[in-house]
Amino acid sequence: MPLSPFRLIARHQWHTLLRERAVWLLLGLVLLVAAYAAAAGWTTYRQQQATQVHYQQQARRDWLSNPDKHPHRMAHYGHFAFRPRAPLSLFDGGMDRFLGNAIFLEAHRQNPVNFSEAGFSTGLLRFGDLSLALLLQVLLPLLLFFLGAGTVAADRENGTLRLLLTQGVSWPQLLLGKAAGLLAVGLLLGVPLLALTGGLWLAAQGGAPSLDEVLRFGLLTLFYGLYLALCCGVAVLVSAASRTARTALVGLIGGWLLLTMVLPRAAQALGSYVYALPSKTAFQTAIQADISRQGDSHNPDDPHYQALRDSVLRAHGVATTDQLPFNYGGYVMAEGEKISAGIYTRHYRRLLDTFRQQNQFARSVAFLDPYLALKNLSMALAGTDFLAYTRFQQQAEAYRYALAQQMNQLQIEHIPNRKRPPTEKDHTIDRAYWQRVPEFRYQAPTVQQVLRAEWVSVAAFGFWGLLLLGLGRRAATRLTAL
Amino acid sequence: MLQALNLTKRYPAGAAGAADRPALNNLNLTIAPGEIFCLLGQNGAGKTTTINLFLGFLQPTAGQALVGGLSVAEHPLETRRLLAYLPETVMLYPNLTGLENLDFFASLAGFRYSAAERRDLLLRAGLPAEAHARRVGTYSKGMRQKVGIAIALAKQARALLLDEPTSGLDPKASNEFSELLLALGQAGTAILMATHDIFRAKEVGTRIGIMREGQLVETLPTHSLTASELETIYLQTV
Repeated sequence: MPLSPFRLIARHQWHTLLRERAVWLLLGLVLLVAAYAAAAGWTTYRQQQATQVHYQQQARRDWLSNPDKHPHRMAHYGHFAFRPRAPLSLFDGGMDRFLGNAIFLEAHRQNPVNFSEAGFSTGLLRFGDLSLALLLQVLLPLLLFFLGAGTVAADRENGTLRLLLTQGVSWPQLLLGKAAGLLAVGLLLGVPLLALTGGLWLAAQGGAPSLDEVLRFGLLTLFYGLYLALCCGVAVLVSAASRTARTALVGLIGGWLLLTMVLPRAAQALGSYVYALPSKTAFQTAIQADISRQGDSHNPDDPHYQALRDSVLRAHGVATTDQLPFNYGGYVMAEGEKISAGIYTRHYRRLLDTFRQQNQFARSVAFLDPYLALKNLSMALAGTDFLAYTRFQQQAEAYRYALAQQMNQLQIEHIPNRKRPPTEKDHTIDRAYWQRVPEFRYQAPTVQQVLRAEWVSVAAFGFWGLLLLGLGRRAATRLTAL
Repeated sequence: MLQALNLTKRYPAGAAGAADRPALNNLNLTIAPGEIFCLLGQNGAGKTTTINLFLGFLQPTAGQALVGGLSVAEHPLETRRLLAYLPETVMLYPNLTGLENLDFFASLAGFRYSAAERRDLLLRAGLPAEAHARRVGTYSKGMRQKVGIAIALAKQARALLLDEPTSGLDPKASNEFSELLLALGQAGTAILMATHDIFRAKEVGTRIGIMREGQLVETLPTHSLTASELETIYLQTV
């Protein structure tokens, strides 16, 4: 049984490429860089994870070691939330390094997430950190374009193309065979890189990975595989449409520059121009303005709180707040917290909407630039995208709100209502209450949520796959040997 | 075996080599199995266009090219299976040996041969045994031509299309080539050869056609003419 022309051509292409010593040199070089990227990714992940765990535990210990205190003082003592690292962040750092890592949680105010890695680094970080994802997204496609430029054009140039076709090879067989041979060489690098990632990812789990984690890694492998196949298809089609391997190479490298260097930056810049964000100051000033319009819980003459007091007194049939059966200060604080948190959330949502529009814009550009589809999907699946970050921010705020309200509740229930004479010590409650506050635990978005947020990128992937198929079919009927 | 019916090719205006007149005008030609038809004519007379139309590398503007009774334009893959093609310079993969090239191209056509069979094919094509395992990059033009013949033999082609196959060959290689063609013709292969070499054409051809400006202006049987008579007719015609 003779091999099909498709397999013969694929095998021939594979052998042709691997006969070149330069190819082995390039492969070796990339593997070396990959080893460095893997080591760097692993070390950074371990360090950051250790730091996060250390400080989160320290914050917990500090919280619990507080003596008997007035609960509102505890609310001001506050707590910290540290952003944990997703295991796959060692593969794709995404935005991680540019986003804050720690947030101080206290009553009455929503603090920003501070201390990004980039904030403490020298300019070196701006050159982009070398991650395994970067190699697979940027370098491997370049290599495939470099190797793939000659796949069909070289045969056309030296005349073997006519002989191939005279032997009864059809254009679809030729194009698919060449692409498959090229892809096999690409996988020679891609598979070790993904295997390396898989090994580190498993090691980072500290136990069996959850189904969610397995799905993330599986999808990541799938999309990277598809992307490499896409690159091979593009390289072979450009090569087939070119007179010479040289023109094919120029076209492919030009396209690579445009798609991986120019367009992503342009898309980002355009996105933030079209959907402008308020400055940090403007954002906070707007929140403050809204809160003072609602009323200031710390100001006893505030009209909103005067009305609140009058209605509470009426309901309980007493003349002064001292006669109420619960701590009125705590009650007012709880009301204030509810109002300010509501206002903050409203503004924050609006801010997030703008971010979402910016990101959605950038994602839509993936219909012009498949690289962006892969980049966004990779970040999202690795848990290093903006979605993961806002999840952290939202969960930290929810935790802060619950903490503040829990302290207010303790005050309402356990602090005497009458005014304390200046000589007397502060009212306190037992430190055992601090135990009742749960620990802060970040819940990463699930794969389903990630895919829902990234549906545009997935659609763009499908679009490019279909487009390539369509172009391939068209090419198969139009190309000639001459 | 090879048949042209009112075959016409006009290149699109503006394309390289495009002229007002068609590159090939109303060609009618039938080449039976075992026949060797030699096409003579100046450069640009339409010889290569004719061959490319039979190969299906060009689409005819009008008329049709038939191979084994099948239209080339409608069944390019099927008709190519019946054909072998030898250009002026046979292009092979220089990094592969003669044996490897033969194996690769024969396999593409769906034929699988043992190493011994492949050696036998190369020997039949006239390639000395010591060259079989050498890289084609080291071959002379004549040697590559022989690998090309071996590929045609391996494919059991029923028709052979040759485009100036002997230009640039030394007399000995050229002579060996002629003998090979005669042997193939006797075995029943239909051969269409475009050439400038009138004497070689007279020697191997059963018929000769002279082309001028895309038209077949003269068709002559070779057995009734001497080479010098043929040359006179050629010079008068073109």
